Amino acid sequence: MDNNFSTMLRPYLKYAGTIDIGADSVLRDLGLDSMRAIELLFAIEDTYGVVMPDEYLNDVAFATAGSLWAAIESLGPAGRQS
Amino acid sequence: MSAMVEAGLTEAVAEVAAAAEKYAEETDEQAVFPVQALDAMRATGLLGLMVPAEFGGGDGDLSDLVRVTDALARQDMSVGMIFAMHCQQVLAIVRHATGPLRERLLSELGPGRRYLASVTTERGKGGHLLSSESTTDQAGNRLSIDRDAPIVTGGLHADAFLITVLTPDAISPAQVSLVYADRTDLQATVLGGWQPLGMRATQSVPMRLVGSVAADQVIGTPGGFHDIVADTFGPLAHIGWAAAWLGAAGGALSRTLHHVRSEAGRKQYDASSELLLSRIARIRARLDTVNALIQQVIRRWTEEPDHTAVSFQLLVNTLKFQAAEQCFAAVDEWVELAGLRFGYQRRSPLLLERVFRDLRSASLNYGNDRLYLVNGALALRDRQVSFG
Repeated sequence: MDNNFSTMLRPYLKYAGTIDIGADSVLRDLGLDSMRAIELLFAIEDTYGVVMPDEYLNDVAFATAGSLWAAIESLGPAGRQS
Repeated sequence: MSAMVEAGLTEAVAEVAAAAEKYAEETDEQAVFPVQALDAMRATGLLGLMVPAEFGGGDGDLSDLVRVTDALARQDMSVGMIFAMHCQQVLAIVRHATGPLRERLLSELGPGRRYLASVTTERGKGGHLLSSESTTDQAGNRLSIDRDAPIVTGGLHADAFLITVLTPDAISPAQVSLVYADRTDLQATVLGGWQPLGMRATQSVPMRLVGSVAADQVIGTPGGFHDIVADTFGPLAHIGWAAAWLGAAGGALSRTLHHVRSEAGRKQYDASSELLLSRIARIRARLDTVNALIQQVIRRWTEEPDHTAVSFQLLVNTLKFQAAEQCFAAVDEWVELAGLRFGYQRRSPLLLERVFRDLRSASLNYGNDRLYLVNGALALRDRQVSFG
């Protein structure tokens, strides 16, 4: 997981407070709801220059910080915007 | 459902509907629970409709639930809502409770004598279903509960409650569990009254519930209420409410059509009037649209194992706000058509005034405005606009 990734996530997790965000952190438990998930999606696309396919926008990819990072990584260069 | 069970169900529904009709005016007037209809639901075993046959229940499916709710709501929308919400609780147990707890609870619920109420509202969280501020403590194998709830439908008469609380070790308000609590395990105090515009007979009073339950009485996984909502609670709430609203509006339409075609009605209405015909068509279309949405949600819920798909969640929420808006609009239009004498007065035989007040609650019952926001965010996730 990119070191900056947890810093990027934190503003979208209303219950995260000062809790450490690791790969196993359950995003829903930390306050990610469907409204904030969309804001987070836009932030990911802007920060990492990727386009998340619709089929990634589900509870599986957005389950934990680690699963979300894996989804971003799996897009690789092919998923990057020109 | 076998022909014999089917015949018994028809009889049971007729008996409960008769009790609902007989006391509807009184319970509306006094804003009190329809205990006679609840007694009939217990006596006929109708409360066991959604329990599998192996536990002595009615083995009903969602079509049965909608059919029964519709029939009851034609007499009294509050009774339809009470029944549908009980069935929602039962299905949460059927689908999410496990092991000995599931066996025990379903054996108790199967004969249909026990009535379950839902405790999900909470002060301070603004109606957000998926979070809680109610902490619990676990000491040994007991889970202590001290729960303040501003709206508990049927709270005075329930034999048991399904209550949302935080898990004992919660680190955030999102770690919510659904806990089963028998009334005898709780001290239930009513904190205030219930004097609303409509659906008065639901008597949804504010309550405080204090007590303790066995720690294994958590339905589903601890902290896993979100999964129960996505799979069962959400879809069933919206299907059940929509069926009650459609039944209430359908009952109003039926009574009015009987009136229009009666001898007295024919003197009042010109059945060849283009205004009358086009208004009737519009009202009927609203109700057919809601019915079609209910049937489509039932079909997908039954046929597709994954209830978390974006297109399904969109549809379930669309059912809720469309049913709320269309059913209310249909009755509003009838009031306009029926006029001051038949449409606007208390105790007019068409009962439009009561149904109008009842249905005004539909958009507020889990606010449409909030659901629109949720669906807006969901729709953004589906650029292909796939209908599933």
